[in-house]
Amino acid sequence: MLAILQSEWFKLRKSKIILILFVGPLIGLFIGLTGNLIDVGEQMNQWYSPLFMMNFTYATLFLPLISGVLASVICRYEHQEGGWKQLLALPVTRGKVFLTKYLLLVLLVLFIQILYLGAIYAVGVIKGFTDPFPLTIVWKSIIGGWVATMPLVALQLWLSILFKSFAAPFAVNVIFTLPTILAVNSERFGPYYPWAQPFSMMYVGGSTDDVFFIPWDQLLTVVGGSFLIFFLCGYIYFQRKPI
Amino acid sequence: MEYIIQTKNLSKKFGKELAVNGVDIRIAKGEIYGFLGPNGAGKSTTIRMLLGLMKPTSGKVAIFGKDLKSERINILKKVGSLVENPSYYPHLTAKENLEAIRKIVGVPKTRIDEVLKTVRLQDAANKKVKGFSLGMKQRLGIATALLNKPELLILDEPTNGLDPSGIIEIRELIKSLPEKYGMTILISSHLLSEIDQIATTVGIITKGKMIFQDSIEEMRMFARQYIKLKVSQHEHAWRTLLASGMKAELEDGHILLSDQTDQHVAEAVQLLVQQGISIYRVEEDKKSLEDIFLQMTKEELAG
Ligand SMILES: Nc1ncnc2c1ncn2[C@@H]1O[C@H](COP(=O)(O)OP(=O)(O)OP(=O)(O)O)[C@@H](O)[C@H]1O
Ligand SMILES: [Mg+2]
Repeated sequence: MLAILQSEWFKLRKSKIILILFVGPLIGLFIGLTGNLIDVGEQMNQWYSPLFMMNFTYATLFLPLISGVLASVICRYEHQEGGWKQLLALPVTRGKVFLTKYLLLVLLVLFIQILYLGAIYAVGVIKGFTDPFPLTIVWKSIIGGWVATMPLVALQLWLSILFKSFAAPFAVNVIFTLPTILAVNSERFGPYYPWAQPFSMMYVGGSTDDVFFIPWDQLLTVVGGSFLIFFLCGYIYFQRKPI
Repeated sequence: MEYIIQTKNLSKKFGKELAVNGVDIRIAKGEIYGFLGPNGAGKSTTIRMLLGLMKPTSGKVAIFGKDLKSERINILKKVGSLVENPSYYPHLTAKENLEAIRKIVGVPKTRIDEVLKTVRLQDAANKKVKGFSLGMKQRLGIATALLNKPELLILDEPTNGLDPSGIIEIRELIKSLPEKYGMTILISSHLLSEIDQIATTVGIITKGKMIFQDSIEEMRMFARQYIKLKVSQHEHAWRTLLASGMKAELEDGHILLSDQTDQHVAEAVQLLVQQGISIYRVEEDKKSLEDIFLQMTKEELAG
């Protein structure tokens, strides 16, 4: 499995699209640096102000969209010129190939999140914040956003294997991602909408009683449940796909 | 006998269409097996099933004496393959393409230069495959198939798109492999001339059915000469010959005598003349392999 992962990473590394990894964090940085900081008041940590601003655009839009594009990228070169049949005629199981592609995506999303963490820190340093960096809270947000993206990545991987075209999975991704902006403002709908979870789990103003910014039962049912459905559908579909 | 590939009643249905119908392939070690059939005969579909890319609707595949279903991974470690048009990653160079595969099959890096040299692609090693000609892509595909030093090489129409000198080159390469490395090779083609020059065993498939499977010598036996008679009332003439115990065939209004000794021909002619049948021509007719192939596939259609 490590061998497949190395091969996958090699193929992806050599495609220029890898630069897309930097888009999300750079946009975050840009928003953080140019936006007028919201006055969070005296009693709140200075760092919260860029966090609120940056997180919204980043978590509702760019994180889901870019992770979806990544899923399409790592399937695109398999679709293009018979890559699937070449890959699957090697001594590998389809299960491992699927798992490896998923694992690589999840690692890349984690990498994006860490870059984003760097962007947050850079904003603070450039703006000369004096308050201590709220490390635990930021980590919660970074890891939370990562976990919440996992089901979306699973769905995008499934769709990217299913559709040869680059546009189809992207369209589905956009269709589900755009309503997030509305969903996060809805108390009734927001907690159940999988695409709204990256924002909810990165929302530093959320409840801090639990490990993450959303309650455990919401994490398990909405994030865990949608992950299970999307992942299994993709996994089973790939097992049966005639090549 | 121990077979490298043995299938039993292998079948594949697409909807209602039986693309592969009860095929029994037997390939012994060290053979170059020519898998011959016209377009759409079911060659690629069969090969896909041999590699586990497609599940058979029914039937069994055993490779190296092991069941493909339960030991696919162990089998594929010793197989190199090229299915249909060559597969490649367009954004990578030839070398990088091989490297992506090498990481999985786990052979030393030096092997990449070896196979590139074998298919004479070393000059284009660092070019993006996107810009390759079809022949160059085909060579890369063969290089990829050779990468893991396979014991069994499965090549689906490997000379597709090669120029004449390329065809000869690849043919010589393929021919040398069983001797040099003890490889067994399955090579498919829709050109009989191609298979004739390379194979030791031949399997002919048409409309999903295997209609012939034997050594190339046995196949060439079909190419024996005939004496061809052009006569009036050919139906009547043919029956007359058969009635007197002579071997004769009727084809396209001609009578074909397979026993071509002078005496036999003389007897046949005499018999026909006595029956009042006019004889217009008596000539020798050598059937080419192409004719046999056409005939075999036609018979299958009629039957
Ligand atoms: N995925 C598929 N879905 C439906 N039908 C298919 C599929 N693959 C092949 N077929 C059908 O199965 C039959 C056999 O096709 P196959 O590709 O095996 O032929 P072939 O012998 O390799 O021909 P060629 O010489 O053109 O490569 C054809 O009638 C084809 O239309
Ligand atoms: Mg074919």
